[in-house]
Order: sequence, then C-alpha cells, then structure tokens
Amino acid sequence: MTQTVIAGRRFSAQAVAGVVVAIVAAVLVLYPVFFLLQAALDVGDPDVRPPTAYGFSNFGGLLQYPQIIFNTLGVSFVATALALVFGFALAWILTRTNVPGRRWLEPLMVVPFYLTPLLGALAWSMLGSQESGFINQFWRALGGTGYIIDANTAFGIAWVMAFFEGSVAFVMISAVMKSMDPSLEEASQVMGASRWRTMLRITLPLVIPGVLGAAIFVFAEMLGSFAAALVLGSPNRFYVVTTAIYQLTQQYPPKIPLAAAMGASLFIVMFLMLFVYRWIVTAGSYVTITGKAFRPRVNDVGRLRYVLLAFCLLYLFVAVVLPLATLIYASFQKLAVAFPAADNWTLNNYRTAMSMNAVRSALGNSLILGLATATIGVLLMTLLSWLIYRAKLPGSSIIEYVVMFPQAVPRLVFAFGIMWAWLVSPIPIYGTLWLLLIAYITVFLPLGIRTISGVMLQVDKSLEECAQMCGAPWGYRMRTVTVPLLWPGLIAAWLLLFIASIRELGASILLMGPHSKVITPSIVESWNATSSELTAAMALIQTAVVAVAVAILLALTRRVGGHTRME
Amino acid sequence: MPVPQNSTPSAATSGTHIAVENLQIHYGTVLAVRGVSFTVEQGEQLTLLGPSGCGKTTTLRAIAGLEKPTSGEIRIGGAPVYSSARKVNLPAENRGLSMVFQSYAIWPHMTVFENVAYGLRVRRESKAEIGTKVDRALDMVQMRPYRDRRASQLSGGQQQRVALARAFVFSPSVLLFDEPLSNLDAKLRGDMRIELRELQHRLGITSVYVTHDLEEALAMSDRIVVMRDGVIEQVGTPNEIYNLPRNAFVADFVGSANLINGRHRADLDTDGLVAIETAGGDIVYGSAYGRPVGDTATMSVRTVHFKFSTQRPAGERNVWPVKVDRMVFQGDFTQVHVTWSGQHLVIRCAALEPIEGAHDAFMSVDPRRVVLLEAEKADA
Repeated sequence: MTQTVIAGRRFSAQAVAGVVVAIVAAVLVLYPVFFLLQAALDVGDPDVRPPTAYGFSNFGGLLQYPQIIFNTLGVSFVATALALVFGFALAWILTRTNVPGRRWLEPLMVVPFYLTPLLGALAWSMLGSQESGFINQFWRALGGTGYIIDANTAFGIAWVMAFFEGSVAFVMISAVMKSMDPSLEEASQVMGASRWRTMLRITLPLVIPGVLGAAIFVFAEMLGSFAAALVLGSPNRFYVVTTAIYQLTQQYPPKIPLAAAMGASLFIVMFLMLFVYRWIVTAGSYVTITGKAFRPRVNDVGRLRYVLLAFCLLYLFVAVVLPLATLIYASFQKLAVAFPAADNWTLNNYRTAMSMNAVRSALGNSLILGLATATIGVLLMTLLSWLIYRAKLPGSSIIEYVVMFPQAVPRLVFAFGIMWAWLVSPIPIYGTLWLLLIAYITVFLPLGIRTISGVMLQVDKSLEECAQMCGAPWGYRMRTVTVPLLWPGLIAAWLLLFIASIRELGASILLMGPHSKVITPSIVESWNATSSELTAAMALIQTAVVAVAVAILLALTRRVGGHTRME
Repeated sequence: MPVPQNSTPSAATSGTHIAVENLQIHYGTVLAVRGVSFTVEQGEQLTLLGPSGCGKTTTLRAIAGLEKPTSGEIRIGGAPVYSSARKVNLPAENRGLSMVFQSYAIWPHMTVFENVAYGLRVRRESKAEIGTKVDRALDMVQMRPYRDRRASQLSGGQQQRVALARAFVFSPSVLLFDEPLSNLDAKLRGDMRIELRELQHRLGITSVYVTHDLEEALAMSDRIVVMRDGVIEQVGTPNEIYNLPRNAFVADFVGSANLINGRHRADLDTDGLVAIETAGGDIVYGSAYGRPVGDTATMSVRTVHFKFSTQRPAGERNVWPVKVDRMVFQGDFTQVHVTWSGQHLVIRCAALEPIEGAHDAFMSVDPRRVVLLEAEKADA
C-alpha cells in the first residue's frame, strides 16, 4: 500500500506530497518577501550585503517624495471612480433592463480586460499625444489650434486604466445584481411601494456592499498598476509609486533601500485594503450574496433602451475598437499620421518585427515560459488547491494565506524581492529564464489557485470519499476520480496562466537579463527606443497569440459550464 | 399485547462485528459526538436515528475513516481501526468497508459499468471476474440494461441502485449507509426501503444505517440507536424504541406522543399499575415496565393509542370526558385536538365520522399503553 512506516509512525504518500508542496509554496512566496523587507530596513552601507544596520529611516525618506504619493492617489482615485461608473452603469443595463442584444453584449464587456493596460496606453498615446496624436491632428485639420486632448497626463493614465478596471467592476457588480433574490423587490412592491421607492429603499441598499467591495478592490489594484503609468507618464517625468520604484532601481546609482521601502509601504497599504475587501464581501454583506443565481427582474425601460444600447456600443467602441484599430492602422504605416496616404502603407513593420533577432528570441522565450509556467503551475496549484480546500490538513488555512499573498503585492514589487533574493543565492539563475519561471509561478499562484479551487469546490466531496471507501489509495483516487473531474477546470487554469505569462510586464521588466528577453518588456523598450509603428506591430503579434488562447478558453468555459451542471 | 420485554436481534448473531467505545469527535471547536459506545453484531442491521446535528452522520463517518475522532476506540472484527490510546488510525481505504452516500456520489465521467467495477479494479481482479461480478451486482439491483449508460443519464432512483451495487460488489465486510434514501421522492423511498431490507438479508452483510426518518428506521433495522446532541438516548429493537421509549425525547421523536406529568399516588396503585394525579386532579393509570417510580412522574401515550368517542366507553380507569378544540382531517387519519385536565392533547383516529357542532366527547386509553418514562437528568 502507499504507507511506509518510519520510526514507528505512518507517513502516507498524501502527507508527504502535501508537506513538500506546502514547503515549496512557502519558500516561493516568503523568501522574496523576506528580502524585500530586509532591503527596506537596510540603513547600513548600501554596497554591503547582508545589511550592516537596520532601521526605519528609509520609510521616512518616502516623505521627501510627496508628489509621487499625490500622483498615485490622484490617478487611482480618478480611475476607480470612472471604472465604477462604467461598471455600475453597464451592469445595471445588462442585468436589469430589457436593452436589446443583452445576451451577446454581456460577454463582450469583458474584452477590455483582455486588451491589457499596455495596449491601451500605446494606442491612446498614438491617439492623444499633444503633437502627433491622431485626434489632435484631426482637430487641427478642422481648423483648431493646439490640442484638445493630452494622453500623457494623470488623467490620460486614469482614462486608460478605467476601461481595464471597468471590466473588473462590471463583472463584480453584475454578479451582485444577479445574485439578488428578485422576491425581495417583489415583496416591497406587493406591500404597495412604488418602483422608485423600491429602488431606493430595497435595491440600492442591497447592492451597495457589492459596489463598495468592487471600489476597494479596484482602488487597491490601481495603486499597484504599472504599465499605463510607465508608457504615458515616464516621458513627462510623471511618476506614480510603481514607476518610481522602477526608476529608482534602474537609475545610476540605484537607490535600492528607498525603492524597497516604497514597495513595502505599497504592499502594506494594498494588503490592508484587500483585507477590508474580504471583510466587506464576507461579513459586511446582506443576504444577497448566497452564491445562488436568480433570474433578475428585468425592467421595461421603453424607448430608453435604445439610448442604453447606444451607450454600451459607444463604450465598446472607445474601449476596444478605437485602440485596436489605431494600433492596426499604425502597424501598417511607414510613419503613423492621422490621414492615410497611398504611399504610406507598408508591411515592413511586421517583417522587421519578425526578423529582428531580439524580437524573435523574446517571443520564443515568452512562449517557452508560457508553456512551462502553465504546465508546472497547474500541477503545483492543483496539489495546493487540493491540500487547502479538500485535505483540510492542520495548518491549511495558513498555507492558503501564504499562497494568496502575492495578490496583495504588485508584481513589480514582488519581482524586486525575487531579484534581491536571488542575487545573493549561490544558485546562478539570476538573469536566466529559470528566474522568470520561478517569478511567474509565484506571482500567479493566486490566479491559478482561485481558478482551480473554484472548480474543485463544485465537485461534490463525496465523489472522492466514495473512491476511498472503495479501497482506492490516494494516488489512485487522484488519477481516476479527482483529476478527470477537474479536467475542464485544469485546462482553463492552464490557458489563463499561459495568457498571463505571455502578457506579464511588471515582474519581467525587472528580472529579465540581456540574454533572456521576453516579449512584453521588449515592446516597452521598442516604444522608448524605436518607432511607434514597429511597436504597434509587435504588440499586435503578441495580442494575436493571446487572442487564440482566449478563444480556446472561452470555448472551453462554455463546456465546463455544461459539465458542472451535471452534478 | 405485543409489548415485548427484552428481545434479541432477529438476524443470526455470531459475535460482535463492530465495537464503538467512548467515541468523542470534535467538529472544529464543537464537541459533536460526546462519548458514544455501542456494538453491531455480525450480520446485523443497526440504525443510528436522530434529528439533524445529533452526531449520527459524524459517528458513521468516523467508523468509515472519513472523520478523525478526538478520542475513543473503534474495532472492526476485533481489530482496532481507530484508537486514541494505541495511536491507531487506519485510513478509510484500508478498513475494508463500503459506503452508500447521501448524494449517491456516482462519478459522472464514468459509465454505470465503470462505476460499479471501480472497487474490483482497485483490488486488481481479473477482467473476466470483474465482468461477472458487476453483471451479477447490476442484476440484483435491476440495473443490468443500463450498464453502458453514462451516470449523468440516470434518474435519482437509478443512481441510487448503481450506488448500492457499487457498494456491495466487492464483498466488503461492512456496508455503511448515510441517509441513502433522503433524496428520493416519498413513493420511491417506500419501495427502496423494502428492496434495501431484502437485499441486506440476502447478502447477510453487517450494516450501519444513518437516517432521521423514523419510518425508515423502524422498517429496516434489527436494532436502533437513538441519538441527540452527540449522546445516545436509547438503544433497542424497533419495537422497544416505539413502545417503550425511555424518555420524553425518544417518545416524541420516535412517532408523536402526548406527555402527561403528575404526582405519584402510591395509595391508588393496583394490579401492577402505577397511578399518578395530574395538576388538574385527574388520575391516570400507567405501566412502569420495571422502571423505578419517583414522587413525580411523566407518562407517555402515543397519539394513536388514545381512543376517542362520543359515547362514554365502558370501564372506570383511564376514561375521561374531554373538550374538543378542533379536528384536522389528514386523509388516512383524523387528528383531534382536545383539552383535558388543563393541558392540550392530540389524538389520532383512523376513519372517524365527522362530528357536527359541540358534542360531549370522551377519551380512553389502555393502561398498558401509558408508559412511565425514566426520570430526566437535571439538565434535560
């Protein structure tokens, strides 16, 4: 059988696998965090490691940069407000009104999320920079002077992020609206309350905790956002916390302790916010969040429905069509200007992108990393999910906290800890793809585990217990019952990890070495060093790879839905 | 009168098969099972009966090995599978038991055949052997025609049968049932109850059955263990449990009962009967069945054992006029709510003619049907 007797005590394969996996996860997460905190508290000689003296004075140094804190809060606040307005309006329109075409509009609202902040920032930079921005070129052609929009500002960054986070807010708020029992509203109307009174006294109070939760979640994400601020803010020396950390590590001489202190502060703030978010979602909400899906009551809004439809379509146009079309258009131009000319079209950008050694190796590296991260990640995360949510071993809630930890840390900050940790490690993987692999698996632990455990919790526990009662040992059960039942969820998790790896920027930009380039940071480098047309072509090649993966993912999740309903 | 004293299980007994001793199980910080001890004889069908949250399922899962107890001992065939003193805790897959789950736990990614064959494949039996055994098991539950169906294409009752075949096909030493019929509709539940009982007799297998359904427990068990709040309230044959409830909880949970409190009137005790006087001054004669009688006593009378009539019945003892509050027609019987001696009682009568207006009515009961309960513990 699976048991070996060691020193008179029994160790099952399950317990051994559990302990090993838990230790691996703990090392992956806690080792970099330790080095991040160590660097933040290092007040000794900056060239000597380990630190010669510890103190809090680095944190005091943060106060010398009030502008950065102000910038970060300003951008995050505006982006969160915009994202909530978009998300709430769209969620209400698509779940509670009889707007035409709800069924196909709803999945489309998530598309901005897949376009990534980097893509949005590149596109809006081409659309809205003061001089060469297409929109401003049109403005001047129409007789205007100067410019009407400027993407390279705090508002530009918030604008780009608002579409990305708007998808997140939409998903969260519409989930709340869908899980609200319509009989709560019907009861109010039966008691004689008017539609407006019902809306104000019943609907709104029930939805508010969900909206508040979304607001905190989005704000926390915004504090750690990086790509849009890097592309749109850096040229004007407009820095938020994340881009400032990046700048501090890249400049000469680098200010490592200060960067570490910024990162540690950011992660403490985000950690607290996500804690509040969890509290609101679990304890602070009312009966609406039962996990049960109701058929929401649909309001007949009459003619207004066409106005609402126009709003949805306009949103999709601004968030998806316009940026994508801009990038596609620019990628086929010799010199991107607003007005197409016959002799300006070219395929050279794609030719150059595919022939440049740097780009080809970066794309190749990204694909290799994506495959490896997804495959190894799914194995590790399945075991971890099983340990945390099924085996209920003592201490499994601690493991849960540890593996979910990276969610509260911006990937750039986490990468900083990883970089600092592996620089002193005797294992020479710094600057190689191996380090990136370790980094990806670590920062994507929450993503993978949430996906896999979501499917795992839908599978009735007694299906596994029954196999056990039939006499099957742990390995046999996993192979014949657990894994086959989880299969669709595992494939979905694999694709999500693959997509996330291909698009990863924050961790990669710090950790990639000269001989281990990956695609997303290369796009940023190209934006800074070469032409915007070539950059657009590179970004679209990456998008095409991701789009194929997303298409497979969407086809699969439809099948997963069918599979779990069977239970 | 079919009130037995001490009866033995009807199944052939050849020694103790399962022994549970002083079992304690914590569920988080809650003590769900508080020191439970009982035995199951070879070939016996024992039922753990109680309301939800009484610890019956937890106890069953501890026997299965799916729940780790806090302390105590569980022996199967004399060998400990769990013992806190000897630090033994055999994993479920090595205990040689089998179980039918409340949710059936039919694997949706396998066919009926594959589901049933699972336990045999685990035991590495030959292909031919597996084929024969699975077919025989499917025959016994009348599911042979469905052997190549996907489990998702089966109805609830069919899934139940497959779960059953899967549980006994590999000849486990003990079968455990965790409320296997609770997800079926009432009609099917009645049929499956009889089938399950017959199958159990044919297989002659020791089984432990958990249910909160009284009728199921009475119809299917050799012996019943009634549990509440993690402790055993009474152990006995279905007959004993129904006719001689030990206390108010068992009397009320196992069928519906009227409880009558009163002061013991030893001066009126005659013919081996115990007399009590209610607060309203009425004298009730009951039977002690060997239980000690205190100064005050509680008697239990099943709602079906009261006789209700509009004419005064013959006899002196246990005949009283009553005031009828209301009558509720419930199909097979009529429930009569009456006020008597300052308390409300419920009487169930079969096929009662409707009574128009406020009539004088009478209630009577055979003293042997008035059962003296044991004195309650102080905390109950």
